[in-house]
Amino acid sequence: MKVTAALPAGVSALFFEAADRLRRLEADLAATLEGAGFSEVVLPILDYLEPYDPLLTPAGRSELYRFIDRDGEQLALRADFTTLLARLLAPRLQSLELPLRFFYRGDVVRYQEDRPGRGRESYQMGAELLGVPGTQAEHEMFRLCLELALRSGLEGLRVVMGFAGALDRPLLDAAARGAVPEELAAAVERRERATARAAGPALLEVVEHGAPSDPEALGEDAATALRGLEALSTGMQRLFPKIGFTIDLAEFARFTRAPELGAARGRRSYYDGLLFRVYAAAGADPIAGGGRYDQLFRSLGAEVPAVGFYLAIDRILARGGGSEAAP
Amino acid sequence: MIRLALPKGRNQEPVLAALRSAGLGLSALDSGERRLLLPCPEDGFELLLLKGWDVPRYVEHGIADCGVVGSDVLEEVDGDLLVPVRFRAGRSRLSLIGRAGALPAPGSQVRLATKYPQTARRILEDRSWGAEILELSGSIELAPLLDLADVALDIVQTGQTLAENQLVELETVREVADCLVVNRASFQQHRQAINDLIGRLEAAEVAT
Repeated sequence: MKVTAALPAGVSALFFEAADRLRRLEADLAATLEGAGFSEVVLPILDYLEPYDPLLTPAGRSELYRFIDRDGEQLALRADFTTLLARLLAPRLQSLELPLRFFYRGDVVRYQEDRPGRGRESYQMGAELLGVPGTQAEHEMFRLCLELALRSGLEGLRVVMGFAGALDRPLLDAAARGAVPEELAAAVERRERATARAAGPALLEVVEHGAPSDPEALGEDAATALRGLEALSTGMQRLFPKIGFTIDLAEFARFTRAPELGAARGRRSYYDGLLFRVYAAAGADPIAGGGRYDQLFRSLGAEVPAVGFYLAIDRILARGGGSEAAP
Repeated sequence: MIRLALPKGRNQEPVLAALRSAGLGLSALDSGERRLLLPCPEDGFELLLLKGWDVPRYVEHGIADCGVVGSDVLEEVDGDLLVPVRFRAGRSRLSLIGRAGALPAPGSQVRLATKYPQTARRILEDRSWGAEILELSGSIELAPLLDLADVALDIVQTGQTLAENQLVELETVREVADCLVVNRASFQQHRQAINDLIGRLEAAEVAT
């Protein structure tokens, strides 16, 4: 066989300055997380497939690299840290002292169509906070994520905020009139105005402006959550004047909570509260994101408030971050 | 300034007419220069002229903030893009084309020629043909005419080329329209300006 320097599609190697930049950024972010009281956990890249099967959406399942081991066991390469952590911690929660603050770093591997800028192997850091009730945990983790994003050295950061289930009421109403919720949620996420207009004024306003002018159009619970989100956005804007904040419920249209809308769920379906994504200038993919995912633990038989976030380190580096640690 | 990627070639004229109807001057295009990057400061845009197939990639990666591309191309490349409106002008059809007669019977072994292999795969999933996809880059109609393929999947605009070559549109698969596509991050960064452009296109009734 002729030896070449080629690698499979969607993976890359870092040499010299690029590797150095990654390690320096990683060390700086890890030190910040440790300073905030988070301990590191180291997780395997290989795991059983079976425990995740009920948690996976069809899109998530199609992204997995899975295979049969020599002993006939179905295994998968790590595609997501949060589900792996939840599976390992849920059976042990009774014996652990809460709250728990921990962080991780490493590769996740997902099959995606080959295209530049979107690798199949990506390097992430992330943090989780378990056992702090109410909005206190959301504030702490949201704030920490933004501090880390700023430390990466990227400028022009913009945060998009929403919450799971925000559009359940209008989606259910449209479904009652014959719309297919999964298709409608996808169209709202793509900001297709004609489809949103046909579905009603609330969804059209969401597509155009991110949220309806009358929060009550989303139903009572969602209206309350939207007001809470507005207060959080205002508070964060004060803390981070260099970052732009937008409430955009269309961005998270496929993160539903109503069981009847289960088919409309996004790739990682476990979020059930606050959702946020951090964008840097250019590029379609966020450099960070996170939210509340109590439901994930509940589905594994444990009751604990859980909020977390990830930082897509390779995207940060690709956009010029990590050149020097921010002050 | 927002960078707008426009397709070169046959799609360009109806798209430019629609944009001008919406109040954009696009004066840089009148200079006759062969530059590919054209500032139009009076409109708040910089134009980037690209082959239609390349528009989704440039927009998805944020090199252009938004662009115009046919829904046929968009479906084939399957990018992560926002698609707020479709242009009314220049609409066509993605159709199965063959020699006069009916579609092959269920269970037939069919060779299908197309420049849209991914779309063809999705369409064939719903049909009970044993199918082989033959990817071609142009003159797709020749394939069924000269028996290189049994049917072709291609764009039909007026049907004149088909009629002149004793071919028929066996089945319309879907309507094809030029779409405004927007980069996800750019939408958040330039929401007001992009919403303003969409609003002007809708008000001029050139896009919906």
